[in-house]
Parts: sequence; C-alpha cells; structure tokens
Amino acid sequence: MSLLSNFELAESRKKQLEGLPINPTGVVLEKIVSPTEALINGKIVILAGTNNYLGLTFSKDCIDAGIRSLETQGTGTTGSRMANGTYSGHLELEREIAELYSMPYSMVFSTGYSANLGTMAALLDENNAVLIDSEAHASLFDGCRMSGAEVFRFKHNDPSSLEKRLQRLGERANSTLIIVEGLYSIRGDCAPLREFAELKESYNSYLLVDEAHSLGLYGRYGRGLADQLDILDKTDFIVGTFSKSLGTIGGFCVSKHPQLGLFKYSSRPYIFTASPSPAVIASTRSAIKLMKEGDHLRKNAWESARNLHGALESIGLDLHPIPSPVIGVSFQSEEVAIQFWNILLESGIYTNLILPPAAPGGGAVIRCSVTAAHSVEQINKIGACFKSIAKELGLSKAA
Amino acid sequence: MELAEITKTVISLARKVDEKNITLTPESALVADLGLESVQIIEFLCEVEDHFDIVIGEDSLADVVTVSDLAELVYHLSREKKL
Ligand SMILES: Cc1ncc(COP(=O)(O)O)c(C=O)c1O
Repeated sequence: MSLLSNFELAESRKKQLEGLPINPTGVVLEKIVSPTEALINGKIVILAGTNNYLGLTFSKDCIDAGIRSLETQGTGTTGSRMANGTYSGHLELEREIAELYSMPYSMVFSTGYSANLGTMAALLDENNAVLIDSEAHASLFDGCRMSGAEVFRFKHNDPSSLEKRLQRLGERANSTLIIVEGLYSIRGDCAPLREFAELKESYNSYLLVDEAHSLGLYGRYGRGLADQLDILDKTDFIVGTFSKSLGTIGGFCVSKHPQLGLFKYSSRPYIFTASPSPAVIASTRSAIKLMKEGDHLRKNAWESARNLHGALESIGLDLHPIPSPVIGVSFQSEEVAIQFWNILLESGIYTNLILPPAAPGGGAVIRCSVTAAHSVEQINKIGACFKSIAKELGLSKAA
Repeated sequence: MELAEITKTVISLARKVDEKNITLTPESALVADLGLESVQIIEFLCEVEDHFDIVIGEDSLADVVTVSDLAELVYHLSREKKL
C-alpha cells in the first residue's frame, strides 16, 4: 500500500460533499457585515451558526485594545512562551483568569485545541486512566492519546455508566481523570456536573470540565456551568477557549492545584508553538472584562435562545428539551437534513450542518446558535424560515 | 467463562444493534459487516463492558475487527480481572 493511499477515505468523503448542491464544508463568508450577518454567495444572510455567543467580535473595546496593541507591540511575538514569547500581557491575562475563578494559577495557550492537548499531555502519563464522555470534543481525545494514558469511554452524560467504570477500575480510580464538557456544542445539552462531581469525590478521582461552549453563558460573571451548578470547588481543572464567547483565539486551563504552575515545563503543546500575538491577548483581556460585566449580554442571548427554542419546538422538530443558545435539530434522514440546510441558506439563514459520523446519536443535525447580538426580528425570521421549510418538507406537527 | 461462550454472548449483544439483519458469525466484521456508525459502536462496546463487568481501553481496540477479535479481548480482560 502506498503512503498516499491513506487519502482514499478523505477523497471519497470530499467527492460525496462536492456532490451536494452546496458543500456545507465549503461555505465562504465573503464579507462580515456584523456579528450576526455576512455575505455568502453574494447574498446577505443571518448567521445562526457561529460560536459568537456574547456577540463580542465587533466590540469597540476589544477592537481598540487590539489596535493599540498592534501599534505598540507589533504583529506577533515570533516565539514560544518559554523563550521570547512571554510579554507582560500574557502574564496579566493569566492572572486575570486565575482571579476570575478565585484559583491560584492559570495557563494561556495559543488555541483551545492546544489548551486541551497541553493540559492532558502535562497531567497524564501511561500510568493514569482516563474516563471520558463518549461525545467529548476531538481535542480532549487527542490530548489523552498524546499523553499515553489508558482511555475508557463512558456513555454520554450518564453518571451510572461513569460509576460502573470507576468501580471496575478499583484502586486505579484514585489516579483517574474524568473528562467532560459543560454545554455540548451540537445538541446543546448540558452535562450533569453535580452528579459527576459527587462521583469524583466518592471515588477520589479528578475532574476536568471543558467549558468551551458554556463560558460566557452560564454561571456568575459567565464563568461556566461548573460555577452555575456550584461545583467549582470540586472541579480540579477547567479548560476553555477564547474563540467562542470571547470572540478571539486562544485557550486556557485554570486550577485550584498549584501544580498547574509546573505544567509549562513538561507540556509540549505549550512549549513548541508560538505564543498568541499581543493584539489577540489585548482583545481577549477586554472581552473577559465585558464577559464579567455582561449580565445584559447573557440576558439577550438567553432570551433569543428561549424564543428560538420555543419556535422550533412548536413546529415539532426533534430538539433537546431544555433550551440553550445552542439548538441542535436532529434528523433521522441525512438527505432531508441536507435539503433542509440548503433551503435555509437559500432563504438567507446560515446554520451548521453536521453529518454522520460527526453527529451524536446517528442521523444528522442542523445546529443553530444564537448570540447576544441577534435582534428579535432576526430570531423571528429564523423561526419563520424553519417553520415554512418544515411544512414544505412535510416535517411539521400539522403536516 | 470460556471463549466459545463469550463469542456467543458477544454475537447476541451485537444482534441488538445489527441494523442490516445479517447472519452474524465470529468472522463478521463489526464496522464493515454490521454497518455500525461510530456512535453505535460506542453504545455496543458499553453494553459489552457492562455485560462482562470489564473496561475496554481505546488502545486495545486498535486490532479488533471481527466479533471473534472482540470476544478474545473480552476473554483476556475477564481473566486479568480474576488474577
Ligand atoms: C469542547 C471544545 N473544546 C475545545 C475546542 C477547541 O477550541 P478552539 O477551536 O478554540 O481551538 C472546541 C471547539 O472547537 C470545543 O468545542
């Protein structure tokens, strides 16, 4: 077998996607009009498939901070955090994140992906076991693989499935890391973190929560779901990303364990990559400030979430029953989902199409997300489009 | 439990998720023959783990293709547990 035959699978996937009327992985945002609108195929569409939950991408504070930093500190650091890439802004941001969580230490990484890789690579080795939610993000699995730890999955959001596996691990449970997310990004369902935290306490294990999608939306100051459910003190590691609610790029890990301060000496994804550019750090610091003071932003995002969820539910579409700013509509048939998604885009609504095997539970998902920046009119329009397309395709309750 | 018996049990657990309704044999390939999506594979593996009261690590699945590969892995893991 030749080396390049490894690409046969990718080639066939590409052909399949290119056979669709619009390739969902090939959408280009030709011009960004605002946090909620962009030009796609020459037409202005409403963006209902981003992760811009607080709508901060065009915040004046964040843009001004970025510009000031670009002008005074240049375009990039050109180096690793362990060499010439630590500017005072990086340290300030780490201090501010630690302060936000009232924890002693935090670490900033160049992306959310590398925060997960870097945290797991430093924390775990071949002697540790990991119990990971079966629907956890790829970066969490990749981090585990990089660390060499033994990886066991448990059923998605299922405390009894986790407990059985903790039992079977016996004494090893003491050095086992449980890995879950807060808000899951496709269906918009939340982890039963209280139950998970109780289990981790009774088996003396460790708990890591990835708040990538819950940051900004849940908890006091937008600290995430662990805070909202009052289990921050039982959570050993929180990881998150700047690329969603904060509207920039980068990632972090924050912990009550002072050992986190030593991670940087052994975390390859932290050491062997350039540090975030100073402008990104400056915008992120402004965004965190706005997130902390952002109760009004959360209120908007949640109002839109409840409105859209209610509208889609009344049509009779298959949704997670509890509203959140991520609303995943499940379809049994991949073909129907593709058709639905295409008509949505033609009607001026951009959503995310998630096809098997990426979609949880088989089938396909049209993922909508709402932001603090969406207007009531935009949310109504999204709901109305869903309604008429569902009727057209014979999917609504009344049909 | 002996290997033959484990194989039988694995087949009966696989039958529950077999959407194509094929005749399962120890040589049936879990992904190619059963046509399982990755999500169903995970559900199925969780069933197998719960039934035999074991945990199966991701790494050890790398070489598992057929029903009988999985049965052998279960056999070894159940024996390790007793030792
Ligand atoms: C749960 C989760 N963790 C980590 C990441 C990676 O974050 P980033 O895209 O900022 O690298 C994502 C998003 O892509 C995610 O959904």
